[in-house]
Amino acid sequence: MKLFKIAILLTASILYAAASSWACEFKNKVPVNSLSNAFEAFKVVTAASAECGNYKAELDIDFKNKQPAAMAANPSQYTIGGISNSTIVPLLDGNLIRPLDQLVAKYGSSLTESQKIRIDGKIMAIAMMVNAQHWFFRTDVLGKLGIEVPTTYKEVLEAAKKIKKAGIVDYPLGATFKAGWNLGEEFINMYLGTGGMLVDAKNKPAFNNAKGVATLEMMKKLTRYMDPEYLLSDSTYVQKQFQQGKIAMANLWASRAGNIDDPKESKVIGLIDYAAAPAFKAGGAPATTLWWDGFTIARNISDKEAEAGFRVMMAGIDHKVLAANPDAAIWLSSKPIESRMAKGAVASAQGGAPSYPASAVTSIVHTQAGQKIVDYLTGKKSAKTALADMEAAYLVTAKESGYVK
Amino acid sequence: MDNNQLYKLSPQLHVLTWIVVITWMVIAAFPLFWMATMSFKLPLDAFDANALTVIFGPNTKSMIGGISIVGVLVALGFGYLFLKAHLQRESIINYFVTSFGSVPKFLVILILYIVLMIAALITFFMVVPGISSLFNMILGGIPLLNLLVEPFIGMTTQHYEAVWIENEFYKQFINTIVVTTGVVSISLTVATLAAYGIARTRSNLAFWLLIMALCFRALPYSTLVTGYLAPFIEYGLYGKRFGVVIVLVAINQPFTIWMLRSFFMNIPPELDEAALVDGCNRLQAFWKVIMPVMWPGVITTGLFSFLLAYNDYMVAMLLLDGDARTMVPAITQYFNRETTLTDQVEAIAAAASITAPIFVMVMFFQKQLVSGLTQGAVKG
Amino acid sequence: MKTKTFLIFVIPSLVMMLVFIAVPLGISIVQSFQNTQNVLIKKEQKKCDPFGCQKVISTIPLLDEMGKPVTKTKWVGWENYKTLLEPDRVSQAFSEEGGGFSELLGIDFYKAFRFTITFTLLTLPMVIIVGLILALAVNSIHRRYRGPVIFITLLPFVITPVIGALSIKWLFIGDGILTATIEAMTNSDIAVFSNPLAVEALVLFFRVWHTAPFVFVILYAGLQTLNFDSLEAAIIDGASRWERLRYIIVPHIMPLIVFVSLIHLMDAYRVFDEIIGFGAEAHVMSLQWLTFDFLMPDDTGNRSIGRASASAMLTMVGIIILLIPVLRRTWKEQR
Repeated sequence: MKLFKIAILLTASILYAAASSWACEFKNKVPVNSLSNAFEAFKVVTAASAECGNYKAELDIDFKNKQPAAMAANPSQYTIGGISNSTIVPLLDGNLIRPLDQLVAKYGSSLTESQKIRIDGKIMAIAMMVNAQHWFFRTDVLGKLGIEVPTTYKEVLEAAKKIKKAGIVDYPLGATFKAGWNLGEEFINMYLGTGGMLVDAKNKPAFNNAKGVATLEMMKKLTRYMDPEYLLSDSTYVQKQFQQGKIAMANLWASRAGNIDDPKESKVIGLIDYAAAPAFKAGGAPATTLWWDGFTIARNISDKEAEAGFRVMMAGIDHKVLAANPDAAIWLSSKPIESRMAKGAVASAQGGAPSYPASAVTSIVHTQAGQKIVDYLTGKKSAKTALADMEAAYLVTAKESGYVK
Repeated sequence: MDNNQLYKLSPQLHVLTWIVVITWMVIAAFPLFWMATMSFKLPLDAFDANALTVIFGPNTKSMIGGISIVGVLVALGFGYLFLKAHLQRESIINYFVTSFGSVPKFLVILILYIVLMIAALITFFMVVPGISSLFNMILGGIPLLNLLVEPFIGMTTQHYEAVWIENEFYKQFINTIVVTTGVVSISLTVATLAAYGIARTRSNLAFWLLIMALCFRALPYSTLVTGYLAPFIEYGLYGKRFGVVIVLVAINQPFTIWMLRSFFMNIPPELDEAALVDGCNRLQAFWKVIMPVMWPGVITTGLFSFLLAYNDYMVAMLLLDGDARTMVPAITQYFNRETTLTDQVEAIAAAASITAPIFVMVMFFQKQLVSGLTQGAVKG
Repeated sequence: MKTKTFLIFVIPSLVMMLVFIAVPLGISIVQSFQNTQNVLIKKEQKKCDPFGCQKVISTIPLLDEMGKPVTKTKWVGWENYKTLLEPDRVSQAFSEEGGGFSELLGIDFYKAFRFTITFTLLTLPMVIIVGLILALAVNSIHRRYRGPVIFITLLPFVITPVIGALSIKWLFIGDGILTATIEAMTNSDIAVFSNPLAVEALVLFFRVWHTAPFVFVILYAGLQTLNFDSLEAAIIDGASRWERLRYIIVPHIMPLIVFVSLIHLMDAYRVFDEIIGFGAEAHVMSLQWLTFDFLMPDDTGNRSIGRASASAMLTMVGIIILLIPVLRRTWKEQR
């Protein structure tokens, strides 16, 4: 009887070890932690890292407001920071993260060159995925009404009109127009799609012009086909709208595609497909920006913690982990990972969509756009006034921080 | 007094009064009740537009299960027992106080409250499901009776498990306990001394102190925190619970002093005089003679200090981070990780978890809370 | 007691209040006249990411020998206040071509100020009336029922404001249960949170919901001390219920109403938790929220401490002005 029990235990532990060892091959002895965004990709990676032991992941949408202060503390409150091309800027500017060249040489042999984020030659971060907002649509709705997948925003408006008339779904369009960061992102995507520049060489604002007005007008036209609470609509909201069958089309983050068919939440499983983001006008590049997300290691920590944190992070983005979750994100990995989800983002990139122009001044424009456009969309201000307000607010912040004299 | 002719209400007025009272009670309790209901359902049910779906949780019932009629009866039975215990609490407390001699009454109340809370948690999360499954086994086979053990209302505790166990909310809970205990103990110690001094002196300084305290109480917290941030980050207090404790104690001093002072004013100065005549100095008079009489006032003020510290959002939000976070700021963090509907319901479960201790506290300390509010007002 | 003994009793508390209230207040005042920024330089950088390599000219902070960004603090006088109050735009708004009040309300500070004042002044009478009605009602029902009624009534007051606001938000947002019910009854499509007026009404409702129990308890206690002789005399004189209320009950509890108003003014002016709970920043903002927003680091990692302090100072000026009438009255009584 005893032998039998031992045999069972052994088999169970071998199976368990086999199941879990794919995530982490080393036992971490140094307590490390991380702060990152909360979407699915980070959940997957941090869960895998957690199997190394002694690791606590904090997932928070507001991470970018907390990281600079937390990592400026001495010692830094977080070992690892999950960042994107935009949120790495304050950490770089504040000199809060450390170069990873030595650690990469020691433990990062499985990294591809495109994963190494270099600033003036030094590796400052490791990218694990790329992301972009691209077109999501209900194949059944478009199919039923005989609508082609729109490639320009003019076509989007026409398609939305038809869908509204047919009344199959509550609203033809969804969008991440939540006041604040989301709305600002939509403005920047659309504005860059018109070919305009955000700031000039002297960091002075360059968006208060005809292209800016055209961008705002297009955004307003789109809102006519959306749920009137669009100012509260972030990517969780839009995903929910899709899952509950309320909308037919939206420009949504590629990283959301993985979860959208969750049987516990979705009423429209399998009916959603992806395409490149529409262009502002025919012949233009898709009106979206390309992003990458990844990890950095704090500067204000001991070298031992840095090393442990790096190894834990590498375990989290190990190819086996990513391959087991092909739909969580568009992963960057040593070996390619097939996923239907990459379709829209890849198409957008191939269409010439620019990468997000991450910098401190862009962040200021982004923040101001997210706040000052609201009054235009609700009809309280004209487009010109809204842009003038945005410009004035940008100048105030930029001057206060010293970016503009 | 209330049955005499003065308050004899005409039948219409009587009905109107009850309508007012009941309407208010519904408005007061409904949001909380709804929050609790949603927290036990799957997202598909919790966010449904149909009220009956939310209450009965059909999807939760089919996918996970729920509570049967038997289960509901068992839960109600235990609920009734707890209610009886609560209503009889005075006699239970007196029993313990008399049998254990010198134990102060509020300590007994506190321990009783903690014991009952733990008992309630164990009962409703473990014992009731246990007994229900027992009934299920017995009655499951019998044709008509098995209807009684079929899941009737869809319910799941998975969100609470996710919040407390997977997401380690207990860490934030412990932080909250640490911060509130620190705030209450330090705040009461410092403020009782000050309030006693102010209540027993005739100097003008006392009046000016009170006015200064009143002005300080009026200050928006944001005004103060702009001043704290830089020094805190500089001196390494950022992210430490102790920093938050001290800030909360200081910010709430004005209110605490005002409340305690009004309690002290109720105690006749002759008591002090007698102690002084007997040879005590002021401090001894304070501690040996006045404080024993003051206990109810101190407890009441302590309750309000507790509420202020427990419910604080802004100070802890701006000064604490990561693992040191208390429960209330952590709830917004919860919303910030709500990338799926399931996360949202988990946030609702977290919110319900935060509210539960307060709910129980009001049950036990209702008298003291009411007296504290009125004392502060009536004596000015 | 002797002054010396008095001081001993009072010193711990006094020290705490001075260090943690008076000093930060002072620091805040000073900060409102200063501006701290990083010293910035322009540098050409080569950036490589998954999408390729680019040479860009970036504006980045200068670092000192320790690797920390160099900051410079300079005295800017009233500039932070000017940035907040925008006197130029204000005069332009009220000139010939200006948009008048609606343009004024486009400026953040005035938007926050308008909301804070209307919020404080509108909720005051509402809270007192609801509290008074409740006190009269509960006073009239049988003693046996009062315990449970008071228990349920107290709940909105003790619950964490942020969570209370959240619980009400969930009832209305999207297809929340109450919105759905209203939509079903009026056969229309309502989006509560896209309507600024609805959001503002909800925030006001929440404050009344939260504070009425407090007013109720205090007024209810006051009602217990009513002098029955005068009431009896009034009934004999033939006074109606309404007249009794107006001429006897209300004057008796007037000091309590004043007290409650004072507390309410102070608290309502600091409105903040509700805005966070309802996520109402898109439509309304309060003075305290504005200061908080300046304090939160933006996307560049900077906190606008100068503007936050100026905003905090202006907020304080407002509350002092609001409190002057009450303080005057207390001063007169003291004399």
